[in-house]
Amino acid sequence: MRSIKVISAILCLLAPADYAMAQAVDGLAYETIEPSRIALGESATLRVTSFSRLKDVELPIIPGLVFENIGRSQGFDFVNGTAIPATFILIRVTPQFAGVFTIPGLTPNSRSIGLEVVSGDEPNPYTWRSQTPAPPPAPSVSLPKGVQMQAGGAAFVHLAIPTRAIYVGESVPVKIDVGLRPGIVTSVNGLPTLKGSDFTFNNLSKQPERREEAIEGSTFVVLTWHSALAAVKPGDFSLSAETLLTVKISTLSAADRAVASRLAWPLLQSMYNGIAPRDMTIGSSPSELKVLPLPTEGQPENFSGAVGDFYVSSDISPTSVAAGEPLTLRLHISGSGNFDRVDSTMFDHLDHWKTYPAKSSFTPSDAIGYQGEKVFEQPLIAAQPGEQSIPGLEFDYFNPNTRRYERAQTLPINVTIAASLASGSLDGLTGAQSLNSAPKGSTPGLRPDHPPPKNSVSELRPLYFRGPFLAIPTTLALILAGSWFAVRPSAARATSKAAERVLAQLDAAARAGDSSSFFEAARKTLLQTFAARWQMPADQITFEELRARLGTTGEDVERLFALADEARYSNYQPGGTDFQRWLRLIRGQLAGERK
Amino acid sequence: MRASKNSMLLASLALWAGQAFAQPSQSPYSADGLYNLANSYARSGKLGLAVLSYERAALLAPDDPDINANLAYVRASAHVPMKPRNLFSRLGQATSPSSAAWLGVLGLALVGIGLVARRVAPRFLWIPGSGILLGVALIALAASNAMLLWPRMHEAVVLIDQTPARVTPAPMGDTAFVLREADSVTMTAEHEDFILIRTGRGLSGWVARANLGAVVPPVGSDR
Repeated sequence: MRSIKVISAILCLLAPADYAMAQAVDGLAYETIEPSRIALGESATLRVTSFSRLKDVELPIIPGLVFENIGRSQGFDFVNGTAIPATFILIRVTPQFAGVFTIPGLTPNSRSIGLEVVSGDEPNPYTWRSQTPAPPPAPSVSLPKGVQMQAGGAAFVHLAIPTRAIYVGESVPVKIDVGLRPGIVTSVNGLPTLKGSDFTFNNLSKQPERREEAIEGSTFVVLTWHSALAAVKPGDFSLSAETLLTVKISTLSAADRAVASRLAWPLLQSMYNGIAPRDMTIGSSPSELKVLPLPTEGQPENFSGAVGDFYVSSDISPTSVAAGEPLTLRLHISGSGNFDRVDSTMFDHLDHWKTYPAKSSFTPSDAIGYQGEKVFEQPLIAAQPGEQSIPGLEFDYFNPNTRRYERAQTLPINVTIAASLASGSLDGLTGAQSLNSAPKGSTPGLRPDHPPPKNSVSELRPLYFRGPFLAIPTTLALILAGSWFAVRPSAARATSKAAERVLAQLDAAARAGDSSSFFEAARKTLLQTFAARWQMPADQITFEELRARLGTTGEDVERLFALADEARYSNYQPGGTDFQRWLRLIRGQLAGERK
Repeated sequence: MRASKNSMLLASLALWAGQAFAQPSQSPYSADGLYNLANSYARSGKLGLAVLSYERAALLAPDDPDINANLAYVRASAHVPMKPRNLFSRLGQATSPSSAAWLGVLGLALVGIGLVARRVAPRFLWIPGSGILLGVALIALAASNAMLLWPRMHEAVVLIDQTPARVTPAPMGDTAFVLREADSVTMTAEHEDFILIRTGRGLSGWVARANLGAVVPPVGSDR
């Protein structure tokens, strides 16, 4: 019982102290992410280290990042050689696309951290834990002149620019070195930036160069970025570079840390060994740069503003074409300088050639586009056949090394222009021997073009095979067929034809002396004719009817009918003249019908 | 009443035909334009397209000496033999297809009118008889022209050199033989993107549609 009272008393005495300690360390937490630069498809581990009774943290929601709680553990965090009890929460961070992400603090007093996600297999310059065998010891170097350590000696920034004066428009390379002490600087948050107005900057190189150097007895990882700047106006300017880092910083003074080191109980030590990562911006010392104006004296008329050291060359392809065919003239400008001011004005003096807008392409040979080659492709068309010469192309620029304007010139190029194919040669299309030298008339060739057409048709299909056209003859045929059936043949014509046949038959009978057939056919024909004419049956035509209608002619007709009977029964044979007289009578009666 | 209905039907047919011919041309062709186009193709070395354009120009103006001369020249340059034309072909293609078609219509009209005239008027029968003879001659001319043109409706020109003619209408089909640029072939069937062709030597194979240009392009197509 007594022992229980003693323990209770001790606990009562310790309770205020424990509460005070809890209040003191409450909120003392920091986060780290390893590695801080990963490739797409990999994951990083975000570790929340808390020196208080941290239960759980709320996972942030950041587009492009997936957070997954891995686990929770307890242990000790070693700060300045002192072990401090801590709680660790491990969170897996998986990116969904490349980019630079900022993860806000997961505890109330923690700072945000950065995560850079790259695509592909780009090397990770921030990976300080190499899987390869131990590298050789870093070379010992001294800090460049004018560079000062910052962040408590954990980092520095150095901006290297030309020490000479530069010219307006001149593109000069610059270099930014960022030195970091591994273990103290936990991450580089973003790319360094250049501070300075009246300058234009190229983009920083995508991948910094990385090397390790021993500076003042400590190993530094030095990251180097390259860029190029150009001044837009003359004058004296100041330039500097800066970058944002996350550095582990002790929050206690040296005296407090000495007290803490003397404490034996880790729980009490933790009260005096506060440490936290802190985002801070460190910058380089300002660098002075003098910018001179371009000299006006001797400035060429066609000066485009190109400043640098350039070399030019040219070529053409093909070297032999037919008149009217295109060929391509290429101008290569290589060297170093502001290639963005190199234009195609040198093509403006190509007289006697038909030109089209030139195309250009630039192939840099370094990471910042300060050195490289720019190629202009100029399409040309020769109007006249024969040996043609393309004059040398002139390119004016200012050389800052010699401090004067210079002119680069290409050599003239000779090309062979064959006669146009339209004038009788097919060399260009078949590669055959030239036909131009052959005598005119004996050599076949392409005949010249025709004048512009005036008439045209909507389609090449012949009219026969088009539906709309076929409707025309069809309609015409229908109309004509209808007309043919609609129109009755002429009665007179039909009669006339019958009469002609009968007369021919009578004539034949008369020549043969067949009186019986002659008179019988004559009577039959006349009776049919009179019946048709008088609209009455033939057997009702009497002699009285004949005399009444025909008068004296009726008597002749009556006589003819009587002779028909006589010839039939008495073998009457009239003379040749009689046959002709009766034929005239019959023809006259039939003709009277036609009239 | 019946005659009135027939008249309305005929009038409707004539109106439809007139409207069809009055439609604005969407892709106008002209012999001179095609000839100039063929010349430009020949100058740029595109012999297949040149021959195709010459063939199309010859379709509109078969008696144009420039077209025939350049066509023969380009074919010779491409080492493609040109089929000689016999007397019947020359007579049948003495005039353009359009003129022959309209002459055929005229011949039909002459025959019809001559027949009706002989039925109506019995005198001076030699006049409608002569008209009928002339009409029959014109119809024969148009018919022969159409007969000669009919094969060309299915004629095509090879546009790409070394065009493979395959055994089957598939891109991976075995190659039966190879066609030269500017070769003339006859299209006999088609399947998706392939056309079954027959050469002048009687060989048959499937050729990718993109490698051929029809002499008489389908309506609404440039090829």
